[in-house]
Amino acid sequence: MMRRAQPWLGTLVEIAIADMVDVADVAVLGACFDSAFAAVAEVHRLMSFHDPASDVSRINRAPAGETLAVHAHTHEVLRAALSVSEASGGIFDIACAPRLVSSGDLPLPDAAHVEHVPLRSGLSLDAVGRVVKRQPLWIDLGGIAKGYAVDLAIEALKRHGVRRACVNAGGDLRVIGALSYPARIRAPRSPGQMALELEVCDAALATSANYFSGRDSSAGSVLIDGRNGQPCAGDFSVSVRAPSCMLADALTKVVAASGDAGHAALAQFDATAFII
Amino acid sequence: MKPLHLATLAATASACGSAFATQYLTVEQAQRVMFPEATRFAYSYLQLSPEQMRGVEKLSGLPARSVNWRVFAAYRGDTLLGHMVLDDVIGKFELISYAVGVNPDASIRQVEILVYRESHGFEIKSPAWRRQFVGKTAQSGLAVGDGIANISGATLSCTHVTDGVRRIAAVAQVMLKK
Repeated sequence: MMRRAQPWLGTLVEIAIADMVDVADVAVLGACFDSAFAAVAEVHRLMSFHDPASDVSRINRAPAGETLAVHAHTHEVLRAALSVSEASGGIFDIACAPRLVSSGDLPLPDAAHVEHVPLRSGLSLDAVGRVVKRQPLWIDLGGIAKGYAVDLAIEALKRHGVRRACVNAGGDLRVIGALSYPARIRAPRSPGQMALELEVCDAALATSANYFSGRDSSAGSVLIDGRNGQPCAGDFSVSVRAPSCMLADALTKVVAASGDAGHAALAQFDATAFII
Repeated sequence: MKPLHLATLAATASACGSAFATQYLTVEQAQRVMFPEATRFAYSYLQLSPEQMRGVEKLSGLPARSVNWRVFAAYRGDTLLGHMVLDDVIGKFELISYAVGVNPDASIRQVEILVYRESHGFEIKSPAWRRQFVGKTAQSGLAVGDGIANISGATLSCTHVTDGVRRIAAVAQVMLKK
């Protein structure tokens, strides 16, 4: 198995290719890695909250009432985000960015000041794939874009004929191939230790927790409950298995905020979850 | 943060088995990944003067941290293709060795992680301790298994690496730009 890792999306993205590759095919293997990392880099470029040129920053700068053209990838992520938001009764809310700016977890954007208003849907998509910004808002796709980047990287590997691989963006991972690929879940109250080991086969697994964001159980969290804007503090971790990593990533926030590993939104997206 | 040479640490870690470490690329593999067209690599140990240190701090907005930098110049024949700069960073939970490919105009070409290591070790608990979670996995339709692993967990911030890359971009501006 060949593994490579690069820093993207604020974390380390690891790609492991398990196909048996002839030594003479080093260039072919390199092209597989390059193409998969390029897909991740594109998501980073389009959806970064920090980059003023990203689609996300363009949406955040736009005045209410504006309609914006965005890249097809951004459109797909927004569509999924709105869908998970609806299925979760507003728990998942990409418009929580002002809360994360207030807590210092995101930088102040170069855009007119905005407050997060819970349960207000200020953004929709029109029939030709554009974004309609109906209310003043700042969005952050940090709770879903990593998962989408993993999905795109997996698609890139498949296009190159790779049959067995894993892409892991800081804990949001997806596996292709008949070979089971063990994933280890950290113990949330002792993240240097493994709580359990799972076999992931042709599926995605995403885990969310507070232990790496410099939080203890009494402090805040970058996981925000969209219904009230409150951080989901605590020394738990949530893992979601789903058909796509984008959905697994987004649904961890629904389970974290509801404390319900059997939340109805999971079944709607063919996902399952557990809390440690 | 202080510089460390992690490749040796990682080799030790994989030998003892309990700590979690991954070597993605050796220095030689990283050279070939970043500059596949190169015919030779020349190693140099760059030393920044106090004035150059101030230049790096001004450009990057970060403490220059180190006077010395490990650099490979990549050549095809006599033509300089660029440089590969090696660095190590230590976070709260992790030790990371990485390489930055730099073009002759000092722009960043590529970043590759060489070695990732959990700073406290990533322990595999005893089967008895793990059994408390088995019920949860059964409920969620997930099977417990063994073998080589990927770690799923809260997102590890790579701020140290991105700061490091920014610092190396400044070092390249000050010392490597042609």
